[in-house]
Amino acid sequence: MPIELLQQAAANNEWLAITPELMLGLTALLLLVLELILPKAKHGLIPVAAIVIQVVIAVSLALNFNTAFSGTDTVFNGLLRLSADGQFLRLFFLVCSIFVCLLGTVSLAKQRMPRVEFYHLVLVITAAMMLLAQSNHFVMFFVALETVTVGFYILVSYFRESPLSLEAGLKYLVMGALSSSLLLFGIVLLYGVAGNRGLPGGSADSMNFDQLRGFLEANPGNFLASVGIVLVLAGVAFKIGAVPFQIWIPDVYQGAPTPVTAFLAVASKAAGFAVLLILTQRVFTPYQNLVIPVLAVMAGATILFGNLAALTQHNVKRLIGLSGISHAGYLMIGVIAAYREPLAVGAIWFYLSAYLLASFAVFGVMAHVAGSNDADQELDHYANLAKEQPFLAAILAIGLGSLAGIPPLAGFMGKLLIFVAAFKAGLYPLLAIAVGGVVISIYYYFGWIKAAFFPSSLPSGGEPAPVATRVCTPVAGWVRVALIVLAVSSVLLGFYPGAFGQWVLAH
Amino acid sequence: MADSLFYLFAFFTVACAVGVVANKNAVNAAMCLMLCLMGIASLFVLLDAYLLAALLVLVYAGAVVALFLFIVMLLDMQGGVKRPFKKMTAVASVASLALMLVGVTMIKTRGQLSSLPAPVGTTAPVGAVLKNYAELLFTTYLLPVQVIGFLLLIAMLGVIVLSKKFAGMGDIK
Repeated sequence: MPIELLQQAAANNEWLAITPELMLGLTALLLLVLELILPKAKHGLIPVAAIVIQVVIAVSLALNFNTAFSGTDTVFNGLLRLSADGQFLRLFFLVCSIFVCLLGTVSLAKQRMPRVEFYHLVLVITAAMMLLAQSNHFVMFFVALETVTVGFYILVSYFRESPLSLEAGLKYLVMGALSSSLLLFGIVLLYGVAGNRGLPGGSADSMNFDQLRGFLEANPGNFLASVGIVLVLAGVAFKIGAVPFQIWIPDVYQGAPTPVTAFLAVASKAAGFAVLLILTQRVFTPYQNLVIPVLAVMAGATILFGNLAALTQHNVKRLIGLSGISHAGYLMIGVIAAYREPLAVGAIWFYLSAYLLASFAVFGVMAHVAGSNDADQELDHYANLAKEQPFLAAILAIGLGSLAGIPPLAGFMGKLLIFVAAFKAGLYPLLAIAVGGVVISIYYYFGWIKAAFFPSSLPSGGEPAPVATRVCTPVAGWVRVALIVLAVSSVLLGFYPGAFGQWVLAH
Repeated sequence: MADSLFYLFAFFTVACAVGVVANKNAVNAAMCLMLCLMGIASLFVLLDAYLLAALLVLVYAGAVVALFLFIVMLLDMQGGVKRPFKKMTAVASVASLALMLVGVTMIKTRGQLSSLPAPVGTTAPVGAVLKNYAELLFTTYLLPVQVIGFLLLIAMLGVIVLSKKFAGMGDIK
């Protein structure tokens, strides 16, 4: 019996299928070992090692894009499901993680903090997000989600000398615990009701997404299942910061270290949408009549709230957080459209990629402009940036332009694809709200660009505008290369999407 | 017999839960919480979920509440200022009372257990026996268990990063 058990366990746990995740986990451990064995003078090599290894993993992943999931579909006893979307998201999270590590080298240099743990946490979170985006079972889903969330609790409060960072960490902890409890309650309800063998389609393994879907198909309109679905959606909405679960965003984004804010804004949001797509398109499909109205109301409110609240912000981190809420709203329109229009899934991936490029360009500039007080980054600090640091100002302009959706840039194409998908799916009221939101967003994005390119022109009361002190760190060589790559690909992706565009459209 | 035991333990659990909320003394409240968890554990025993009962006693009653007590005594939180009564308290009380009434009526009208169809399989759930449970952890759910290993690792690292003294941190470059 034990031998059979071992053989079965060996046959069902295909570790090779999760090579990228394994590599990331091992690299994370390696970093800790390196800190122990390297002399202190050489500790600067550790982030370099982290970034180089990740680039190698990313390249090998891109080269094996189609081969990795051919043959088997679900692995690890149905806990994970390999797919083209999963491959794309793995690559997406890796690229995010590489840029976060790069930004980390810039931001951590301004603080007296332990360094290596930061990169370790980023790598572990990235691996967990990859597993999350491929999960096919609520046990795997929840464990991966909690790993991501616990990692973020630490990262958000990482600059612990700053009270704002600690406050942000505490707020994120309380809100994250609340959202996890909602999610867990929903999962338990679904598990309980789908595990009832007395009902048609009830199964013993009702946490498995395929089994659960079978149950939902057999029992349309089950009350307990509906409550469970709404609770699970609420838990996911917390992660993506959709209204009415957005209250944590401004404070947490402001208090968190800049690289962590970027990680939260891009990777965590993308993970939330990957999960939302899996749940709505693969599991809760039989309950569309419930899911679509819930998501539609949330999407409309999210777009309006994010854009209107961002209008009055002067702290750039709060501004990017609130505008990120509105981006979540546009993406939710894509999720709804995906029910009727297969193009929408590809549009969401394209939008997220454009958002990644633009956001990291902006966050890269923010990391350089920020002083030693990381939470205090006002629009005033950007005054005259164009004269003193023309390179950073140009990157900032391209990034913000892409976020706002100015025509030649990638952000515009992303918005266009989402809107076309929404139009084809017939979501006209949401489309109207979204277009209105885009118009509003241009105001505050250009306010930021204006602050960087023109001398601050306060209504003159005789007093000259107070010159904000800016401690702009010089841009290191390879960070400069990374920023150029981000800006150039933001432009190129808008003009010529190439193979990526074909992959997206062929979806 | 089982019924009267259920009522006994259920009453005991609820009484202890009220004790947690109503007690002014934080140490007494924590002790009530422990008794409340013991009551829940005995309810689990009545449901034949021995493993769950043992885990509850070991982890929650044993470790977590002991930690609570430790921190309460360390911080010496006795009494505290009595907050003035707010309007929101009244609103919240009315809302929760209404919710409770809804719950009771729902149970009265819909939750007739006798009207449910009889369970199809009579075998006990696989995970209820410790041996099966352990086998599942090492075969079917091997990957989540490994991921939880990483979760605990980063939690430990986080505690170190967030609480270590900064002395000598200046020379980290």
